[in-house]
Amino acid sequence: MRRRYLVAYDVSDAQRLRRTYRVMNGFGDPVQYSLFVCDLSPVERQIMHERLTAVINLKDDRVLIVDLGAADSRLAASFDVLGRQLAIGRDSYQATVI
Amino acid sequence: MVNEFVYCPRLSFLEWVQGEWDDNLDTIEGRWVHRRVDKEPATDVPAPPDDEASSADGGDAEALALTARSVLLSSDRLGAIARIDLLEAEGREATPVEYKRGAVPDIPNRAWDPERVQLCLQGLILRDNGYSCAAGVLYFAESKTRVKVAFDESLIEMTQDAVQGTRAMAEGGRLPPPLRDSPKCVRCSLSGICLPDETRAWSGEPPDEVRRLVPARPDALPVYVQAQGGTIGKRGDALHVTVPDEPPVSVRLLDASALSVFGNVQLTTQAMRAVCDEGIPVTFHSSTGWLVGVLNGGLGHKNVLLRVRQHAVAGATEASLEIARRMAEGKILNQRTLLRRNHAAPDRRLLATMAMHARQTRGARAVDQLMGIEGMAARLYFSALPQLLKGAGAWASQRFAEGGRNRRPPKDEVNAVLSFVYALLVRDCNLAAAVVGFDPYVGFLHAPHYGRPSLALDLAEEFRPLVGDSVTLNVFNQGEVVEKDFVRRARGVALSPTGRRAVISAYERRMNQTVTHPMFGYVVSYRRVVELQARLLRAVLMGEAEHYRAFTTR
Repeated sequence: MRRRYLVAYDVSDAQRLRRTYRVMNGFGDPVQYSLFVCDLSPVERQIMHERLTAVINLKDDRVLIVDLGAADSRLAASFDVLGRQLAIGRDSYQATVI
Repeated sequence: MVNEFVYCPRLSFLEWVQGEWDDNLDTIEGRWVHRRVDKEPATDVPAPPDDEASSADGGDAEALALTARSVLLSSDRLGAIARIDLLEAEGREATPVEYKRGAVPDIPNRAWDPERVQLCLQGLILRDNGYSCAAGVLYFAESKTRVKVAFDESLIEMTQDAVQGTRAMAEGGRLPPPLRDSPKCVRCSLSGICLPDETRAWSGEPPDEVRRLVPARPDALPVYVQAQGGTIGKRGDALHVTVPDEPPVSVRLLDASALSVFGNVQLTTQAMRAVCDEGIPVTFHSSTGWLVGVLNGGLGHKNVLLRVRQHAVAGATEASLEIARRMAEGKILNQRTLLRRNHAAPDRRLLATMAMHARQTRGARAVDQLMGIEGMAARLYFSALPQLLKGAGAWASQRFAEGGRNRRPPKDEVNAVLSFVYALLVRDCNLAAAVVGFDPYVGFLHAPHYGRPSLALDLAEEFRPLVGDSVTLNVFNQGEVVEKDFVRRARGVALSPTGRRAVISAYERRMNQTVTHPMFGYVVSYRRVVELQARLLRAVLMGEAEHYRAFTTR
């Protein structure tokens, strides 16, 4: 149902940058500076689109959204991490028990 | 409302009479297309836009061209109110413009009837307010095209019929039947609430194929916080959970369908506010799982008609008893299936007796009698259940066999897990009942009792063996809980935090497991099945289904 997206942003103003980061936190996991990996349904993607449009300046900033394919466990293989390791994506359909 | 009525009367009733709403991509994009007309005043026209409505109300059209956004107008003659996305007027000549998110449809009229009727109604209301109005415009955002719709005789007639039909439907107070095998249902945002094909099947006139219009498993899942001393806060649009001596965990609000808090866990006001805004229910439990409170975001479900009906039926003996019979029968059959499938050498006489008890439920003349039959079957069942503990779980069998099923507090390890899993199940049934719009405290099999969520207990019955007992057997037999996962106290046995965590995970795995629905033939998770059963109960009460059918497996 969900697809995995790579979302990268260039935001030229410090305040907008912070706001963009805060918005993106609700949609995915930060993996690098200004780079998020997000598992989103079509509805969630549209909401993210709207929330980002409200924050960024469409003239000066840019957000790049790359569709990586269906968000299942196979996708983890398309990430290769050198150096400090990082867990990418989560096991969907697994409830969080803390 | 009239637009939806032309699309599907049932949709119109659900949305406008019962206040049901669910978003899908289309509705969200629709709102996005409407964002300017819904919020911002016009920027590119000289006339002030906000109070256009009041001057237009007076009907004194000035002789200059003006454009106004989001104009609210009404007509007493038609008994209708319209919000016109964009009004273009020149002198007395006015043209309503309606925004649509999609592309121009490739059909002769270049617009679907619901939209044409909606626009025509806006035109008629404009006429009643002193404008002359011969045509309207539909603006299709995706293809950036304007389509002119002329208000001819046949369209006006269709519009007037639709207004009358809508009023009759709303005043009739009865949920219209679903469309039959309609392709409209596929992209309808309420298909998961309306259940068009399922409702047809329940009512005894099944369609050729029951289409599964909602995903087999929901994306958002429950979040449990049972680590003592934990704090749930909010960071951005995510829940941020911190537990002493452990790394913090962040859960997107998008991923949370419900939040369950066990024992001494803090929930900050900010987090509480966020889950309310997102409509995520919170259940508060004692550390042993006992449900002590529910926080439902918003102001409760608006479906009053269903609650009125529920209370009426729950008081009437025969209709209520019939539902109770089916529930008790379903539970006994599922218990029997569990024994039959998991026991190495099931006692045939015991199975036969249980089958007999299941049949006897049909003849029960009162709830007490039904409870008696159910109790006899349960005693047989729990006498055989210890034999299903084997392998890694064999150690727990002995004490369970000696004490049988007991609770408050449970006196052995198996009973402790059973009680805990049942508490989780009742919680989910409680939430399912609330989502459909029921009052969880008024049941059919379980008598009303102060503070007892009787309906949730009713809905849980058929799932106790399917989910509760099967999870319990699994965690013991797979060695997911071992002897040190329990705390022995003077009066009873309870799960330790690690044990609790293992049991919750196992329970959630089970709820996510998919089964082929025996009636609909499609694959769904148990979680969906619980909700489907609650919606079936709604259909029974609203006269849309012949009778309640418990969910049983083979």
